[in-house]
Order: sequence, then structure tokens, then C-alpha cells
Amino acid sequence: MFSYALSVMIFLPILGGLALFAAPVGRGAARAIGMAIALAVLAMGIEIFLGFSPVGGMQHVEHRPWNLSLGISYSLGVDGISLLVLMAGAVLFPLVYAVFTTRTKGFYANLLLVQGAMIGAICATDLVLFYLFWEIMLLPVFFMIGIHGGAGRLPATLKITIYTIAGSLLMLAALIYVGVAHQAQFGFWSFAIADLAALNLSGGFTVWAFFMFMVAFAIKIPLFPFHTWLPDAYTEAPTSTTFVLSAIMAKIGVYGVIRFVIPVFEIEFARWALLLALAGVAGMLYCGLAAIAQKDLKRMLAFSSASHMGIIALGVFCMNVQALTGSLFQIAAHATSTGVLFLFVGLMEERMESRQIDEFGGIAYQAPIFATFFAIAMLASVGLPGTSGFIGEFLIILGAIKFSIFIAVLAGTTLIVGVCYMLWMYQRVFFEKSNERTAQFKDLRLAEILTFLPVILLIVAMGIFPQAFIGKIEPAAQLQVAQLQKGGESGGIAASIDLAPSPHNHKN
Amino acid sequence: MHDFLTILPLLIIVFGAVVLMLLAAFEKVSLTTAAGISMGFFAAAFAAQLLAGCGPQRLVFEEIFNGMLVAGNFTMVAALVIFACGFFSTTSSHTYFQVNRFDGLEFYSLLLFAAAGMVLLTMAAELITAFIALEVMSLAIYVLVGYDRNRVTATEALLKYLMLGAFAGAFFAMGTALLYGAAGSTHFTAIATVAASEAGSPLLLGGAFLLFVALLFKVAAFPFHAWVIDVYDGAAAPVTGFMATALKAAVFTLFANILAIHGALHQGWVEILFYLAVFTMFAGNLIAIGQNSLKRMLAASGIVHTGYLLVGLVAISADTFTGAVIGYYLAAYAAGTLGIFAALSYLGGEGEKRATFADFRGLARVRPYSAAAITIFLLSMAGIPPTAGFMGKFYIITSAIEAGQIALAVLAVVSSILSMWYYLRLIVAMYFQPAEETFATTGSPWAGVGTIALAVSVFAIGLYPIIV
Repeated sequence: MFSYALSVMIFLPILGGLALFAAPVGRGAARAIGMAIALAVLAMGIEIFLGFSPVGGMQHVEHRPWNLSLGISYSLGVDGISLLVLMAGAVLFPLVYAVFTTRTKGFYANLLLVQGAMIGAICATDLVLFYLFWEIMLLPVFFMIGIHGGAGRLPATLKITIYTIAGSLLMLAALIYVGVAHQAQFGFWSFAIADLAALNLSGGFTVWAFFMFMVAFAIKIPLFPFHTWLPDAYTEAPTSTTFVLSAIMAKIGVYGVIRFVIPVFEIEFARWALLLALAGVAGMLYCGLAAIAQKDLKRMLAFSSASHMGIIALGVFCMNVQALTGSLFQIAAHATSTGVLFLFVGLMEERMESRQIDEFGGIAYQAPIFATFFAIAMLASVGLPGTSGFIGEFLIILGAIKFSIFIAVLAGTTLIVGVCYMLWMYQRVFFEKSNERTAQFKDLRLAEILTFLPVILLIVAMGIFPQAFIGKIEPAAQLQVAQLQKGGESGGIAASIDLAPSPHNHKN
Repeated sequence: MHDFLTILPLLIIVFGAVVLMLLAAFEKVSLTTAAGISMGFFAAAFAAQLLAGCGPQRLVFEEIFNGMLVAGNFTMVAALVIFACGFFSTTSSHTYFQVNRFDGLEFYSLLLFAAAGMVLLTMAAELITAFIALEVMSLAIYVLVGYDRNRVTATEALLKYLMLGAFAGAFFAMGTALLYGAAGSTHFTAIATVAASEAGSPLLLGGAFLLFVALLFKVAAFPFHAWVIDVYDGAAAPVTGFMATALKAAVFTLFANILAIHGALHQGWVEILFYLAVFTMFAGNLIAIGQNSLKRMLAASGIVHTGYLLVGLVAISADTFTGAVIGYYLAAYAAGTLGIFAALSYLGGEGEKRATFADFRGLARVRPYSAAAITIFLLSMAGIPPTAGFMGKFYIITSAIEAGQIALAVLAVVSSILSMWYYLRLIVAMYFQPAEETFATTGSPWAGVGTIALAVSVFAIGLYPIIV
């Protein structure tokens, strides 16, 4: 593999997207270009995945200094933590172009931009570079929801945008604080995550900085109680955007916690892990119960997605290898299963012009292949053994037992809620009586079957041969947890830095 | 000889102003030629300044003309910003005057005179020079604000600005007199030395107070910010753009130069500046959130940016002062603001009939490139990467945290969260709502070209650290 693979994966979609905005091409050509770029990225992703050696450190490293005065660098790399997140995005994006054929040129251009920015955020190993991509990622989503969304799109757009920007800007302040602290402790500027991990942060503002980071990521995940933007945004967004938001963008929130918060704020993280784990479980339970009550299929999936993000977050907060590996695995598992479910709902909406669960029924009789695919994705989502969802959730619960029996029991029982709403929904939508609307529903065409089949197979393969994936992520998870435990031990003797005198101190 | 070479760009601008004034007196040239000449002089001054900057590295403050002026990288950057502002204001004005026919040849001459005053102001090292420069700048700006003498709002704006500006000028003069009484000199360094030794002297305190009131008035900082809304609203769009950027750059450069010259001066004022910065940011935000007119919103958001610059002033220290943070922010802010006013100059239509958020509904459907450019400028002003505004904010917050002002940094962040509301509002109107008109524009393409150039420079300045 050539040495600039990651840069190409980032900037091929971004430049392609920008070119699409300016180029006078039709929507068909725009979609073809988007598809071609997404497939090229996928090919490179597969190449990286296959060539990935299961050791802890960064691979495909790129590094060039950018802003010398502040030590900001253009640094990229992939390790076991980012590998599956990266792959989930690479695998899923081509599906969007395959399924949604009627969008405008601008929409496909925005999709390309968001893909590039996401890959950038996943691969960045410099905090400022990560922040740049993290913010750029939001803009295409803003336009996609605002221009192409449903009837209530304006409030939904403003809500998600202001919510996430508020979180991001707080993170910016915390990020700069960390950089300044590094300069104060080591005498040189750096935002590289490897350098920042060496920091001993303590003092009054550290806990604030920690929560500023956590709030930014919690909003993106979304972690209870920062989830309130999600139902509106997921419902009003065009389904392809909902898919992007839930399948990949939410994962980058969790990824950000693992990649940046744990190494930098290991002491604070250990101190607040229980509270955060409780927030994860609370979100699981709350969103799961809310999902049961939904009448709109997409809204139900939105809550279901939020509920599952709760357990993924829980795995991160348990601070042991099993749970962290489980979370990283579950990121990919959830991305594929929920992603496919959202795509299926989009397909149903396009063909039957409805998303109301009440208005469906008996689809399984009309479209057995579709119903089977849907069932596999759904069962993976609820964590049936033999599917990808089981492995991840099992590992997370295993880790959670080590962390706290109470939380593990709570999380384990909450999983049942997921089974409730999913199976009940499946019964009402796919079985029971068919009506006029569903009677016309045609089963998947061969081309569509071939489009979805690889992902469905991937879901099953991840459930049956998890070791092929876990083997790649576990060493990195071990490294990360080792760092965390080391941090927890040295917590008491952290060198103190005083960065927060009040303005009054300047007066002579 | 070296001294003259240092102020060569200033001399070019003054020469250009005089030439244009003479041409205007004899009415020998067309308006387009006058605009072209003005652009030429701004470009020449910019180039001269840039060439001067490529020379050997100089001190932060190098005294020239026996200590009457100072020159350094910081004043040079400020001058570059001012020249660029003048250049793009000229391009915008030319297009603007194709549909709003109250133009005159003197307009461009006045722009050059104002720029000359501003550049002199950035280099002032003693109070008399500063006062002269301030008045040269202000007199030209007064005329520019009220240039459309048939319009009531312009006249009202002029009257307000003139009255208050005259007071500010008087305060400055009185402050100068008191400071001279205390220090026996009008040089900043001499005053600072005296301030360091006898901190409590009433003459010194009173003089400094009056001086700062005048400067805070000019940059529209709290509590002297109220005039800015009406004045920016009443002035023609290109003039507003020029005032909002170049004038602010000039006065802030002087402000920073005064504060950075000696640690004692800065320490005496840091606490007051802290509160002024906070109140300026939040007062500006509260005003901006309630506006329906675009120009009034931009005026109020200008107050917010003044607040960020004050944060930068709080964070400077005399020992390590380079002016880089403030200079960068001024450039970033100027690119974004000038860009929006350039776009308004050609989209506003006759008599600036398109003025409110609602008037720009659906712009993206009809004129996607204009809407994209405006979006870029708004994102820069809001501080979203990878624009110049983001890096500017990054530097400001970094300098604040480095100086130990974490609370101020966090408040600046909160203020930028609030500001998202009104920046997004325009983007929402342009992109998410259906078009109601065709936004037909007539006139020269210069403002459009300027808009594109500024949109590119927003990214260029934002990615500038790559080049360094």
C-alpha cells in the first residue's frame, strides 16, 4: 500500500465533493461519481484492513508539521481503535449511492464531503487536526437536513447544529487548555495525541476541561441527557443522512472519547467513570422505552440507535480490555446493522410513501427476501447469538460485570427492552394482514440483493468469526487500558500546574 | 533615508489621495478611472509594504523619525490589512455606485485620505501624532458616512457619528494634555516610565482614562458601543465595510501599541479591560440576536468581534509582545467582514432595498456562488474551521489561556456559541427557504470579483500557518 493512503482516502471525497458543487453535471452523473469515489475509498479501506498487523501502535502514519508556532501537525494514522470505525464508514457509504438514486447533485456532493471529513476525524492523531475535521463534518449534515429534510426540518437543523457547535466550541477551549498545559509542562507546543498522553493534568480547571471534552462527545454520541436533539434530527433528516448520522457520525463521538479523552484525562476519566457509565445505562433504558412507544418507524429506529449507543458508551466507561474491545467491535456491528435498517426504512418510505408502523403489515408475504434481510439486520441489532451484535454486547456486559455488578445487571436486563420493540415492530410491519399499501410492495431486485448481500454476510460473518476482527483491535485496546490504569495509579502524585489565576492576580 | 523607505507605502497613499483630489477638482476623469486609480494606489502601497516586509527581520518596535513613529512587523501587518480593506472597499464602491447614483470623484480621494490617517495611526509613538492621524482618519470617515446627502438615515448617521466622534476627539486631546502635564512628554515610552514609578498620580489616571474612553469609542467597545448600530446602518454598504474593518484595525493597533510599550501600563488596565471585553462580547451578542436588518446585525456582530480583540489585548504582555495574535485576528476579521459588505454592495440593489434577513431568502437557488461566498464569510466570522476566523479565534483563546485568563477564554467561547444563532439565520434564509425574487443585479462585476477574491483569501489566511 502506498504511503499516503489515508490522505487520499480523506481528500479524494472532499475534493470530489467540492468539484461536484462546481461542475455542471446531472444528478445521475453526480451519483455515479460519488459511487466511484466511495468504492475507491472502500477498496483502499479493505487494503488497509487486510494489511493491518495486529500490534498496538499506529500504522500508515503520515506526519508533517503544519503550524510551527503552535506545534500543530498534519498527522494521520490507523490503529486497532480506529480500524473498525474507519472500515464501517468505508463499507457503508457506497450503499447510500446504491439505494438513494433520486437525490440532487448538491446532496451527493455533501455526502462526499461528510465522508472525507469523517475519515479525517477518524485518522487524525493530532487534536487540532481532529477538531478541524470534526467541525467540517457538521456542515454537510447541516445542509443535507436543512435543504432535503422533512416538513419540520428547520427547527431540527438548528437544534442539531447549535447543539453540536456549542459542544464543539467548549471542546475547543478545553483543547487549547490542554495544549497550553503541555507547553507549560514540557516547554514546547504540541497537540499530537502521543505527546499529550504524557501530560499530568491536575488543578482546578482540569475537571472542567474534561467535562468540556465529554460534553462535546456526549452530544455527538448522544449520551443521556444530551440526546434531545436526536429524535427530531433523525426523523426530519432525509433517510440517507440519518443513516450517516447514526451509523458513522455517532460512532466518532465514542471513538473521540477512546482516542483523546482517555489518554489525556486518565485520572479524571477514572474518577468519573461510574457517573458516565450510569449515564450510558440511563440512556439505554430511557431511549429503549421511548422506542417502544414510537409510531413512526424511523423515529423508533432513532431511539433504538440512541439506546444502543448507550451500551457502546458504557463499554468505554468500564475501563477494562473486554469492555473496550466489545465497544470497538460493537461500533462496527451497530454501524452495519442499524445502518442497513435505516437504509431499508428509506427504501420502504420511497416505495410505500409512509413510515407509520400502523400503515404497514404483511410485507413478509410480498417480499420474503427483503423480510429476511431485514430480520437478519434486526436480530443483529438486538444481539442474537450468531450475529455481530451478540459478540459486542456480550463482551461489554462481561467487562461491565468486572466494573460494577449493578450496572452490568441493569445493562443486561435493558437489552431485553431492545428485543421488545424490535420484535413487536417486526410483527406489525412484516406479518399480520397486508393492506393496499403493502400489497404493491415489490421485493428487492437482483441488483439490490447484490448490493445488500455483502453487508448482510458481513453481519453474519462478524458473529461467527469474530476473532478475525477482535484480533486486530484487542492489542490496541490493551495498550489503551494499560495507559488508563497507569494513570489511575499515578493520580496522587501528578505534578501540579497552576494555570488558572483569576484576573485579579495581575494587579500589582 | 531608511525612515522614508519605511513609510513609503504611507507616502504612496497620501500622494494618491492628493492626485485624486486634484483630478476631482478639475473633473478630468470618469468615475471608473478614479476607482481604478484608487485601486492602483492601494495595490501599489500594499505591494510596497509587502516588499518592505521581505527585508531583514526588524525589532518589534523600531523607532523612526526621532521616535515620533514606530515601525515593526505588527504595524506592517496592520498597514497591509488597511490597504487591502481600501482596495476591496474601492471595488465594492464602484459596483455599488452603478445603481446608487450619489457618487462623486472625491469619494475615492476620501478613502485614500482615511487610509493614510489609519496607517499613520498604527505607527504613532506619541500622542500628538496619534491625535493628528486620528483626526485625518475621522474627518474623511465623517464625510464618507454622510456621502448620500439626500438620504435621511445617512444624514442621521453622520450627525450622530460626528457629534460623538467630536466628543471622543476632545477627550483624546484633553487626555493628551493631562498626560503631558503628568509626564512632561507625549511619548508613549516616557508616559509609561512615569506611570511605572508614580502609579497613583491623578493627572496620569485622568489622562489615561480620557484617552481610553476615546479609543474605546472608536472601536465601539462597551459601554461606548451604542452609536455603531445606527451609523453602520446609515452609511453606504462599502463605507460600512471599510469602517468596520480598516478603522478597527488602525485603532486596535494603536491600542495594542500603547498597552504593550510598558508592562506597567498594561497591568494597570488589565482588570478593567477584562470586564470591558466580557461586556462588549455579550452586549454585542444580545443586540445582534434581535436584529432583522443585515447591516445592523453585522454592526452588532462587529461589537462582538471588538470584544474578542479586547480579549486579545487583555492577554498581551509587554515582554513577549509581537502583535501576531491581534494582527492575525484583524486580518481574518477584515477578510470576512469586507467580503460580506462586498456581496451586499452588489446584491443590495437600488437604495439598498434588500436589507433584511427575509430579503435574502432563497438566494442560494438563484445565485449559488454568491450564497456560497456569503456562507464562507459567515462561517469565518462564526469561527468554523478551516476558515481564517477559526484560526483567529484559536490564537485569541490560546493567548488568553496562556496569560492565565481561562475564565475570559471560556466566556469568549460561550459568546461564539451565542453568535452562531444570527450567523446561521442568514444561511438558513439563503439556503432553506424558497426564492421570491431573481436578485437581478446590474453594474460592474468588480464587487463580485472582490467577493470571490476575499472568499479565497478567507481560506488562504485560514491555512496561512501551512505556508509559514
